[in-house]
Amino acid sequence: MGRGAYLLGTLAAALSTGAAAQTLGDPAYGEYLSGECTTCHLAAGTSNGIPAITHWPAADFVAALQGYKSKTRPNPIMQMIAGRLSDDEIAALAAYYESIEN
Amino acid sequence: MTFNRRLFLASLTATLAAPMVKAQTRPRVIIIGGGAGGATAARYLAKDSKGALDVVLVEPSQTYYTCFFSNLYLGGFRSFESLGHSYDKLAAAYGINIVHDLATGVDRAAKTVTLASGNTLPYDKLVLSPGIDFIDGSVAGWSLAAQDAMPHAYKGGTQQPLQAQIAAMRPGGTFAMVAPPNPYRCPPGPYERASMVATYLQANNPTAKILILDPKDKFSKQALFEEGWNKHYPGMITRIGPDMGGSAIEVRPDTMEVVVDGEAEKVDVCNVIPAQRAGDIASIAGVTENNWAPVHADSMLSRLDENIYVLGDATNQGDMPKSGFSANSQAKVAANHIRGALTGSPVFPAKYANTCWSLIAADDGVKVGASYAPTPEKIASVDTFISQTGEDAALRKATYNESLGWYTGITTDMFG
Repeated sequence: MGRGAYLLGTLAAALSTGAAAQTLGDPAYGEYLSGECTTCHLAAGTSNGIPAITHWPAADFVAALQGYKSKTRPNPIMQMIAGRLSDDEIAALAAYYESIEN
Repeated sequence: MTFNRRLFLASLTATLAAPMVKAQTRPRVIIIGGGAGGATAARYLAKDSKGALDVVLVEPSQTYYTCFFSNLYLGGFRSFESLGHSYDKLAAAYGINIVHDLATGVDRAAKTVTLASGNTLPYDKLVLSPGIDFIDGSVAGWSLAAQDAMPHAYKGGTQQPLQAQIAAMRPGGTFAMVAPPNPYRCPPGPYERASMVATYLQANNPTAKILILDPKDKFSKQALFEEGWNKHYPGMITRIGPDMGGSAIEVRPDTMEVVVDGEAEKVDVCNVIPAQRAGDIASIAGVTENNWAPVHADSMLSRLDENIYVLGDATNQGDMPKSGFSANSQAKVAANHIRGALTGSPVFPAKYANTCWSLIAADDGVKVGASYAPTPEKIASVDTFISQTGEDAALRKATYNESLGWYTGITTDMFG
């Protein structure tokens, strides 16, 4: 899972922001990250102009976000959002959205 | 843990100082303003603290009307009612104490908020999300007293009188708009409004004219709007920038005249969008400098008070535009930070994003957006995108549909 890279990324983020980093292995981090998604994607999973992402299989979720990150999938907003997510953050979001309860 | 105990003691002291409020055992967060910043902050604080915080939302309105999408109402694409949202679910499903009252004072030393009703509420952390108010005298001849004749319609819920005036325009009449100087709420908003008024007039009063008087050299999405105006409404919209007198406008509400470069012109509707500042309670609380509230970029904590956070349009934070999307994004960072301070929950690195969609004509949607990260000085832009001129109709329709999805998404994120 690249825990080393995750830790480094988290540390770098913490150093650059001064925030207290307690993210390693914390499922709450995936939920926190999902706050960036729920502005547009309804947590209840209904689709209205913007696709539902709740309960996607994690592998599909990762593939989609990696596609946006590499700009092989179109949509400038998603390319921007995914572009600054680390692989571990994408994995955390995928796990969160696969398991979310509504 | 020492930190939490100290906060608990502080909250006890505050409670004792305000005996009319019953003793509390949980840390209390008061949020003033129930819009994109405040409602989101309240919901995330209540949802994520799972009962550990006493969350109080102070908002005068029973029904909140979004300012975003109000231009679509003027264009006939939304009903006014569709912009209204109830606070009932925040109270019933999230346990938020909704106080429908106006906050009139903040005692930062005692950590209390005074309400118009006379009640005083103690807080451990205070969140101000008051939106904007207008700078007196910024448009010569205009004041709030003149808003019936020349409405601003630039706060949520205030667009109906302007719509009625547009509908009552004589055939071939002139709709004038005095656009605001930077910085102001919703950078593309005045130009989307001109587009939506044009849509309405083209269908109902096709010889009418739109006159934009603008103190700015350039504006948000300018190439996209100007391309769209030429395509959809040829000859209808004229913009007078600062080089032609747009920066020194006088209005005469009694005679419905605008004075441009010394020449008075009679108009039929005049929409004055004045220069803006942080909503009143921010300056009353003493957390503003030069009209806006400076905040730390990693938390939205005021730079002038360690127990007050400020969100959204009222802030001076750096590169983010004043928008509902920005306020919603900032609210989640602040909520995470507040929970960390009051309950010891993890504080994660701040991340921000914004997208502003605008509708130029039916099914012709465009967007601009950016991601942001905190630096010691400000919230700094990391990456940006914008719709391109010449995009095909299918993409523009998809962009509009995306904006509809966003509206549902953000209002659900705000109100549950």
